[in-house]
Amino acid sequence: MSIPPIPSRAEHLAAWRESGGKLCAAFPAQYPKELLWAHGILPVEVWDPPLAATRAPGHLQPYICSVVRQGLELLLAGAGDEMDIILFPHTCDSMQNLASLVGDYLKPKATSLFFYNPKAPFGQPAREFYLDRLFALDRELAGLFGPRPEGALEQALAWSRTLSGLYAKAYDLRAAGGLAVGAAEFYAVLRAGEYLHPTAFIPLLDAWLAQAVGQPSAGERIVLSGVLPGPEDLLESLDALGLVVAHDDLLSMSRRLLYPPPGEGEPLAALTESFLEMPPCSTRGSSLAERLAWLKSLAKLSKARGVVFSVVKFCEPELFDLPELRRGLKEARLPSLLIEVDVNQAAGGQASTRLEAFREMMA
Amino acid sequence: MSLSAKAKLSFMKDLGFPAMLSLQKAMKGKRGPRKANPDFGPPLKCAARLKEIMMRHYYLARFAPGAKPVAWVTSGAPVELLRALDFYTIYPENHGALCGAQKMGPELCQVAEDEGYSADLCSYARVDLGHMLSGKTPAGRLPKPDLLFCSNNICQTVVYWYKVMAHRYGVPLVMFDTPFNYGEIKDDDIDYMKGQIKDMIPVLEKAAGRSFDMERFMAVAELSKSTSELWGLCLETMKAKPAPMTIFDAFVHLAPVVSLRGLPVAREYYEILYAELLERVRAGIGAITNERKRLMWDNIAIWYKVRDFSELFAARGMNFVAATYTNAWAETIQHLDMSRPFESLAKTYSLVILNNNLEHRLNLMAKMVEDYAVDGLVVHSARSCKPYSLGQYDLKRILSERLGIPAVVIEADITDYRYFSEEQALTRLEAFFEALEAA
Ligand code: SF4
Ligand code: SF4
Repeated sequence: MSIPPIPSRAEHLAAWRESGGKLCAAFPAQYPKELLWAHGILPVEVWDPPLAATRAPGHLQPYICSVVRQGLELLLAGAGDEMDIILFPHTCDSMQNLASLVGDYLKPKATSLFFYNPKAPFGQPAREFYLDRLFALDRELAGLFGPRPEGALEQALAWSRTLSGLYAKAYDLRAAGGLAVGAAEFYAVLRAGEYLHPTAFIPLLDAWLAQAVGQPSAGERIVLSGVLPGPEDLLESLDALGLVVAHDDLLSMSRRLLYPPPGEGEPLAALTESFLEMPPCSTRGSSLAERLAWLKSLAKLSKARGVVFSVVKFCEPELFDLPELRRGLKEARLPSLLIEVDVNQAAGGQASTRLEAFREMMA
Repeated sequence: MSLSAKAKLSFMKDLGFPAMLSLQKAMKGKRGPRKANPDFGPPLKCAARLKEIMMRHYYLARFAPGAKPVAWVTSGAPVELLRALDFYTIYPENHGALCGAQKMGPELCQVAEDEGYSADLCSYARVDLGHMLSGKTPAGRLPKPDLLFCSNNICQTVVYWYKVMAHRYGVPLVMFDTPFNYGEIKDDDIDYMKGQIKDMIPVLEKAAGRSFDMERFMAVAELSKSTSELWGLCLETMKAKPAPMTIFDAFVHLAPVVSLRGLPVAREYYEILYAELLERVRAGIGAITNERKRLMWDNIAIWYKVRDFSELFAARGMNFVAATYTNAWAETIQHLDMSRPFESLAKTYSLVILNNNLEHRLNLMAKMVEDYAVDGLVVHSARSCKPYSLGQYDLKRILSERLGIPAVVIEADITDYRYFSEEQALTRLEAFFEALEAA
């Protein structure tokens, strides 16, 4: 299967800019992208920019994760000056302080905005708070760029519903063994949604899905859990070794993509309900019981026989949950493997050897 | 709660602990006094009382189950809500500090690591998980929790850590979510926190087996407020030259305001400490004999090095007179207002240093440098604590440039000394001492 041509990040951003659109560097993880679209802003997500970290270490201790380090490196390389806004959702302690470091000390040309996500359990106060935060962000964006056009938010929610349907289709097909693509291709396509506007991404995803349907190659089926897919060589190893990613529980992927799409009611209230219904996640404060039940259900649904945790080094939210999750999976006869990675650094031959041993153990 | 457990706790309080204490004192008398270090002024007399209070707290804790509901609480959680319901509270962070000071950090961390907890996680959490898994503690025995109570006003780490404990112990976890103040605190934030307080009360009542009494809560909150205020006054005595205590003393003397806040014993203790400090100021008694340079500390203590560091600095006539860490239990208490109890409780706890942006911290530190006539800054980059440490490199640089004072960063950890290189720290400190002398 060949991947349809995906416009590069640089091309797409330049075209968007030329058409008069605004740009937002969006840091991980959950944020209301529909609101940005409605204001004519393209969110460009910053997960693992491919840069050599030369400047960021002057600002960060070596025990800070590579997602934060690479994100800061990108801003120090001047990306913050090409953006209109930089959005920092509240994801973890490190992201919180990065937001402050950038907003208070480094002060790039772009306006830094902060968006606090309430933490579980999501009772009525959290529901009201999230809705208030959406209204506040809406006002902030209107203050910066003028009021959003009539009907723009409704249109954004419609895109979101379409995308949600396509994501669900891609995941369902893969879980049912109906996608003839490996992990490298699956994530290369889905990750284009981190910067493509829905008007470009929807047709691309639709076309890809139509041609991706088919028999996957044979192998041991696994669930991939962690922060983000990759590094690239890890995905290639999985494909080459016959470890079929049948589902995932990745912060950058299913934990943000597979949730009930916003309904037809008042748009911001609909977005609030969607946020509250997102899958369990370490960064949202979900309980271990919820996370474990979720992982087991993903494995059952996709007939996976093991779980590979690909965790970013120093990522506290993920690392704290791991031992109990692995213990619970073991009790459910689901073996698991932990690989710690740095984004943008090859996982390397050692990871590949361990994956191979893991596959043999499952066989 | 059982009557016999209550009777046992009461017996231990009135007779068992005093008897044990007398025995300990008799044993200590036999060992003779410790040799005085000429670099230090006379030690604080009330240190003995502090030791007694904390020993009593941990000793009685083992008799609490069955007599009182037991809650494990984070250092920044609004404990007044629990006190009003008569919970016996254990502070795992304080216990972590105790383990750190007793140099048990690596041993307990290793237990957690053997269970799969990464060595990159906060070592207070690893120490605590190591204790949970092994039962090892220098405090004798900690009672198992009936409830876990945490607030993310200090870090998100406590949320992840307490989730693990809730899962392992199978007890409810009550989380107080305090939105991070990227700028000013907002009305929406306060409403959200107020809403959570109202929602958590029935959960706390259920775990405590009694109803929440607003009057009792107000009395506890008053007590808590005056205790924190007194602690603030104790710290302020260090504005005097020479300062009557060092921050290394304060690291130890802050235990009651952290762990016993809202109980009469904590306030009583700070009344004694404050009186003693005032007396020392009046008499011109310094914590160190030759206070030539005054320093500020940023971040949590390096618990296993408190004594060594205090001697190292004292020998050079350098005294730590201020710290962002010790200040944290005094700096927001003015917001607690009994006419708006829940709203002001939310504000008090949400406005603590670690829940605010770095600009806030910078301004606070700049003010402290001025108020306490600080000559130099020592920044502890604590591997355990990302919210305290991320941003320190810039903070140090800006503060040093803006105020023209020398500053140094020491890479270490709060309890896990496997991540501390003495040699590297001393090399950096030597350069700092030189800069300080030249300034
Ligand atoms: S990788 Fe983990 S620690 Fe790093 S920004 Fe993401 S959630 Fe935070
Ligand atoms: S040391 Fe830092 S990360 Fe650890 S519990 Fe304390 S505030 Fe949280």
